[in-house]
Amino acid sequence: MPRRSRGEEEVDDMEEEEEEEEERGGKRSRAGGRGKRSRGVESFIDDAASEDEDSDEDDDDDDDDDYGGGGRGRASKRRRLSILIDDMAQVDDDDDIDDDSSDVEPGFIDDTDAGVEIRHNDVVRRSIPHSSSMLEDDEDMQEIVRRLQNRYKEASHFDYDEEVTEVEQQALLPSVKDPKLWMVKCAIGHERETAVCLMQKFIDRPDLQIKSVVALEHLKNFIYIEAEKEAHVKEACKGLRNIIASTKPTLVPIREMADVLSIESKSVDLSRDSWVRMKLGMYKGDLAKVVDVDNVGQKVSVKLIPRIDLQVLANKLDGQEVPKKSFIPPPRFFSVDEARELHIRVDRRRNRDSGEYFDVVGSLLFKDGFLHKTFSIKSISTQNIKPTFDELEKFKKPGDDLNEDVASLSTLFTNRKKGHFMKGDAVIVIKGDLKNLKGSVEKVEDSTVHIQPKLAGLPRTLAFSETNLCKYFNPGDHVKVISGVQEGAIGMVVKVEGHVLIILSDTTKEHIRVFADHVVESSEVTTGVTRIGDYELHDLVLLNNSSFGIIIRLESEAFQVLKGVPDKPELVLVKLREIKCKIDRRTSAKDRYNNIVSTKDVVRVAEGACKGKRGPVEHIHRGILFIYDRHYLEHSGFICAKAQSCFLVGGSTGIHRGNAMDKADPHFHAFGSQARILQSPGRLPPRGPHMNSGGRFGGRGSGGRGNDTLVNRCIKIRSGPYKGYRGRVKELTGVLVRVELESLMKIVTVKREDIGDTAAVATPFRETCYSRGVETPVHPSRTPLHPIQTPMRNPGATPVRDVMRTPMPSRAWVPLSPHRDNREDGDSTWASSPAYQPGTPRPRPYEAPTPGSGWASWGDASVNTPSTNVPSTPIGQPMTPDPASYLAGTPSGQPMTPGYGGMELMSPVIGGEAEGSWLLPDVLVNVSRGGDEVSNAVVKEVLLITSW
Amino acid sequence: MFFHIVLERNMQLHPRHFGPHLRDKLVSKLIKDVEGTCSGRHGFVVAIMGVEDIGKGLIREGTGYVTFPVKYQCVVFRPFKGEILEAVVTMVNKMGFFAEAGLVQIFVSNHLILDDMKFQSGDVPSYTSSDGSVKIQKESEVRLKIIGTRVDATEIFCVGTIKDDFLGDISDPGAAV
Repeated sequence: MPRRSRGEEEVDDMEEEEEEEEERGGKRSRAGGRGKRSRGVESFIDDAASEDEDSDEDDDDDDDDDYGGGGRGRASKRRRLSILIDDMAQVDDDDDIDDDSSDVEPGFIDDTDAGVEIRHNDVVRRSIPHSSSMLEDDEDMQEIVRRLQNRYKEASHFDYDEEVTEVEQQALLPSVKDPKLWMVKCAIGHERETAVCLMQKFIDRPDLQIKSVVALEHLKNFIYIEAEKEAHVKEACKGLRNIIASTKPTLVPIREMADVLSIESKSVDLSRDSWVRMKLGMYKGDLAKVVDVDNVGQKVSVKLIPRIDLQVLANKLDGQEVPKKSFIPPPRFFSVDEARELHIRVDRRRNRDSGEYFDVVGSLLFKDGFLHKTFSIKSISTQNIKPTFDELEKFKKPGDDLNEDVASLSTLFTNRKKGHFMKGDAVIVIKGDLKNLKGSVEKVEDSTVHIQPKLAGLPRTLAFSETNLCKYFNPGDHVKVISGVQEGAIGMVVKVEGHVLIILSDTTKEHIRVFADHVVESSEVTTGVTRIGDYELHDLVLLNNSSFGIIIRLESEAFQVLKGVPDKPELVLVKLREIKCKIDRRTSAKDRYNNIVSTKDVVRVAEGACKGKRGPVEHIHRGILFIYDRHYLEHSGFICAKAQSCFLVGGSTGIHRGNAMDKADPHFHAFGSQARILQSPGRLPPRGPHMNSGGRFGGRGSGGRGNDTLVNRCIKIRSGPYKGYRGRVKELTGVLVRVELESLMKIVTVKREDIGDTAAVATPFRETCYSRGVETPVHPSRTPLHPIQTPMRNPGATPVRDVMRTPMPSRAWVPLSPHRDNREDGDSTWASSPAYQPGTPRPRPYEAPTPGSGWASWGDASVNTPSTNVPSTPIGQPMTPDPASYLAGTPSGQPMTPGYGGMELMSPVIGGEAEGSWLLPDVLVNVSRGGDEVSNAVVKEVLLITSW
Repeated sequence: MFFHIVLERNMQLHPRHFGPHLRDKLVSKLIKDVEGTCSGRHGFVVAIMGVEDIGKGLIREGTGYVTFPVKYQCVVFRPFKGEILEAVVTMVNKMGFFAEAGLVQIFVSNHLILDDMKFQSGDVPSYTSSDGSVKIQKESEVRLKIIGTRVDATEIFCVGTIKDDFLGDISDPGAAV
């Protein structure tokens, strides 16, 4: 269309329609050109027009003279077309914002002209071309024109009535026969200029075969050219410096053509007191409240919380140079007193229109601390405003009730999701005669909600508009927040303040304030969102190489993490991507008394800020424990403490154990090797080194079931989630091994390859255990045997006894710790009897006799006739290194069940090769102590060293 | 509210207990297992009053464990909305205070405490009325009304109020009411 409109015409056509018409009455092209000019879709028009042009090209060459009959004929033709054109354009117009028209011919229309004016012009323009044509002297022509005009007028009424149906509109959409729309890349910011250039080019060179050029305001870097063929477009673009020649024009699919030029109608219905957000500038994102709307001027007066640095302002007013700062001052209410202190001149003026008083500083208007400012409607966003509580609170004047502010509430309601009300919801009427009526939703139809009022004497159901209703909750209701900042939280309603609920969150035990409207009743007993990505609430996560923490709270898109810094709780809010990984390693740590603490163990904090708190350990990492104390409310009950400042509840308080353990190893090695030497000559045929060393302690080498399997062996787990744990192999199935962990008292399944070298690791460990558990209490009883053993003991055993053994009791005998001290007293031995109770780890010793070849017999013997002890000694002797076990054995003999004894009677004969342990874990045994007292016990574990 | 009801439970017993004291074992295990637990439906099992019936045991294949269906009478405690309870304050913070009535933890929000009672931080945080006559702190006994319960599989949590007539501190008879 540019080709048909003259540049000069366009410039002033807005203002001086009439004048122009007089002047160029004969210019037929105006009608079509104008009509189209303000319209979006031109394809039809252009199509018609271009046909014209193409058919008689010469017309254009001498266009100024050519307003004769031939031209008129065409004019009429065009007018006929124009009906079509206008019609169609009108339809489009309804959808389009008038800005659109200015896009079509960029640069020609004063952009500041608001839509109102343009619309007005449209109306005028429509009739003008026709009236102008009436000036033609041809009577026939006038006749036709009049007729057309009448029709046309109808049409214009017609479209104001908005009776255009969808079908009619669809008929106007471009089809394959119409020229195509091509998207051409041009220099950014020069879209309009390019369009104008093309237009000028077309005027200069009418042989160009493009139909129209469109530059859209919202589309940078591209313009649209309408043409039949790509070649035409290229031809037109040739030589234009703003068009990037290298890029090929892109064809706009027919289906999208209409979309290019239609703009979604933004029904901006701003009303006073509604909430908006700033889109631009310093206040970008800030919430503001509409004070006044100027629909004509497209301006809105809003009040917002000023972000003003008074000092800067003062300097500025003083005329000092103010350095441009990048930071934006925080929002703060303006205070006249503060301003005056800084010698800022504050005037109090009355607004002429509203009669309200404002504090005026320079050009800024303040009222009650708020800044009142006028913005263009374009620079505020009105859609989907969800003011948060904090923001609303700030806007609330003290004494103002948030709920009274119906208007602001209604803004909230406009953002309701579909299906907001559900059948059965409790609602309250917030507007109208029936305000404060409560009821329950019966039926929802679009925006009408039928409710069943709770009050008697009212009709069974009442219909309300959705906006007049608000959800209603009672204290004690269990609810879930479904929108807003706290989305996902679940809690119990603690208090209802009008439309604001105070909820006690299930997860954090904190109060949350939400709008009743953002909440639904929840039957869920879960704690709301407990997972984002791979991370779950209460997971231990690594934040960076040096810091880690436990997730104690999930917020939308972020985690609150209690960092692993002991003694002072340090909270950080981290985003999902800031978390490196989850720490899922099961480790253990030593408490201040060197007890091993692992997860789920109950510990008490002995020192530091959290002293006295106790609870199960949830995570351990780098010697830091995360303890969950349900009585501790901050940080979801989690406490972070150094393992060294805690102690295991029920753990030993002995100091020496750990050290002893450490020392134990070398001794064991020494001992072990010695044992080997001693054994090998004995009954035990050489086996794997571990066997030997084990065998040393009572031929345990017969190792569980005698084969070279792992079963019943103590091992250390070398890798995997249980890395570092030690335990006893319970079962072997293919590549999986079931291990009873020493420290956790549970059986886990690990891969066979995760198990450490049993020989190196397990044996000493095992020995440690056994020797400890077993020997110590035995001490006194040993005495009778002493003669036999003594020689042995001194060389080999003694060191072991003193060093290794001691640690043991501290662990094994933990619950009995008081006894431990006494154990050297003869009578105290049996004082430890509680240890026999099935639950305690102690039972182990019972098993000891099993493998015991030589001295298992001892056990038996002792059961049957204590006197046998002496006779059996010789058997024991070969095993000399075992003196300790020997001793141990003696007393243990008594507790043993006779049955065992029976079995084992055989074992001695067989010697070290014993057919494996006869005593199996979990077998009930009778423990007879001191002969007359018998109690039940269950074998927990078969220790292969010695018997009790 | 307390209820005396009959519940049933399948008890697994280790074969080591088989013998003359089997029944005793079963009962003691039952007590150990059940007392103090919480079920969403019945609330907390406070005490087992007696065993009504022990059914025939069924040996579990493979393990040797035997399952006995045991019917027992017990006292359960389940809090209800609107119920008035007397509880001991366990913790006081600025958001309110926690109290325990037996095993039930009850939270009383500061919104549900009389408005004239203000939170006093310090060594012993407390809620103190403006005239100082009433003080709710740790170990205080309060009478409260439950306004909501949240029943999990293993826990019952309640929200209570003392903002009503005859509710509040009852530790000191003079100050109560």
